[in-house]
Amino acid sequence: MLPIITIAVEEFHDLYPDHKVLLNSGGSGVAINQVGAGQLHIGMISRDLTDEELGRHPDVEFTKHTIGRDAVLPVVSSEIFDAGIRVLSINEMRMILTGEVSNWQQLGGPDREILVIDKERSRGTRHVFMEAVMGDSEASVPAAGLVLGANNELQLAITQSNSAFSMLSFAWQNEHVKGLAIKMEDGTVIEPSEENMRAGIYPIMRDIMLLTNGRPEGKNGLFIDFILSEKGQEIIEQTGYVRISQ
Amino acid sequence: MFVSVSKAGKNAVITSTIISMAIIVIVFAVIGLQGLQAIPEAGWSLLSRSWNPGQGEYGILSMIYGTTAVTIVALLIAVPVGVLSAIVISELLPSRYRILVKSSLEVLAGIPSIIYGLLGVAVLSVLIGNLFDLSTGRTILAGGIILAIMILPIIITLTEDALQNVPSRYREAAKVLGLYNYEVMKDTILPIAKSDIIGGILLGLGRAMGETMAMMLVIGSLDRIPDPFYNILVPGQTITSKLGREIMESAFGSLHFNSMIFMGLLLMAAVFTVTIIAQRNIRFGGRLYE
Repeated sequence: MLPIITIAVEEFHDLYPDHKVLLNSGGSGVAINQVGAGQLHIGMISRDLTDEELGRHPDVEFTKHTIGRDAVLPVVSSEIFDAGIRVLSINEMRMILTGEVSNWQQLGGPDREILVIDKERSRGTRHVFMEAVMGDSEASVPAAGLVLGANNELQLAITQSNSAFSMLSFAWQNEHVKGLAIKMEDGTVIEPSEENMRAGIYPIMRDIMLLTNGRPEGKNGLFIDFILSEKGQEIIEQTGYVRISQ
Repeated sequence: MFVSVSKAGKNAVITSTIISMAIIVIVFAVIGLQGLQAIPEAGWSLLSRSWNPGQGEYGILSMIYGTTAVTIVALLIAVPVGVLSAIVISELLPSRYRILVKSSLEVLAGIPSIIYGLLGVAVLSVLIGNLFDLSTGRTILAGGIILAIMILPIIITLTEDALQNVPSRYREAAKVLGLYNYEVMKDTILPIAKSDIIGGILLGLGRAMGETMAMMLVIGSLDRIPDPFYNILVPGQTITSKLGREIMESAFGSLHFNSMIFMGLLLMAAVFTVTIIAQRNIRFGGRLYE
């Protein structure tokens, strides 16, 4: 979510020069922790709070504000994509994560060991992807070959590898990092296209949200209203996410 | 100067000293109190291999292994290279080059660790991956090499100082006896400088154990002890990289948080011990026996 908010903060500063916004990066878990501890006014989250996180801060009235939508894609190195791996079923992805399938050849690709790149536990992308693939948002990944954090860190590692499998937001694909289509149980294949994401039919979708303690007031409310405004929603669209207001 | 003439100056100096001392005490107290809480809460399970906050498992062995492994790799590279370079700089180079080489090494010591980390990710890990045909070059070996480069200036500088501190009449006496240059070095200078050299190596060791940023980027962050344990061509996790990646995600005071602080406590105790031993070894200031 950092790309959206980075641009939003700049435009917000142009609009309201008196209201300074300090921006910091980190995963959803960090945001929830710091809003809970009163160190942040507004957190950026891309997943729901876990029961454990809610239990940790009984006095905090966590309030979520959905500002857009996003697809989480299974992604592979371009070498694998070019060698013909374009579609995976949920079951195949599960077998990759558990290690039952450890070579791309088993899926019709080149004879190369699969490098599974896992994400830090509390990351939003991981929760959403694991929920969809493993049925448990905090599932372990026995086949993990690397554990990284932010989307840009993953993007680099996938680019450097020629056999990586990982998970990323739609907006983070590039010429070296390719999103895959997902084969549903009835055999239909859903492409990771912008249209499918905007129409909400891609199978792994999530809300991206801002998080506050109670109803946001003053400047905080102003910032959230800005992101929900036409201008803010345009930023969401430009950065590769899906707007919520038409 | 002003300290001796003005009472205010004297007070300022004393206050500064107290503040510095207080910082050390507070750090130890907070880390100690918070970290030790993990023991009654998690008990022996701390000494397991599985770290899994979701399931309440906080085994720290993989991280202790990782820190030990990268440190050993770093020393295996940096000690021979560092000591030999120091011998060249101190004994073989003409003095005007000596100053040039030594000051450029000191510049090396001032490069921020994030820069080494970026080079590690962009260059070193790619090289290692290609060289050994690995699926990823972010390995314990890559971490060890980056650390070796980072502690090399410390080891070279302190070893060179140690060699310079050996009075020239020992060299002269040894040469007069007809010893070859290498014999002068091996049998006269090195034995005298040994204690200081070991001190320098230990200071490098302390620095290596505590390095965080570069380690987070190149080590691969996988909480796992390789099988076999000496396979350093796989990703690992050090105490520092674990803390760097995860501490912000844990709630202050939770078992998750306390277990990480406990690892920090172990690391701090280790670095503290090594530093004290190092300082006992090094005879700061001036030439010996003159």
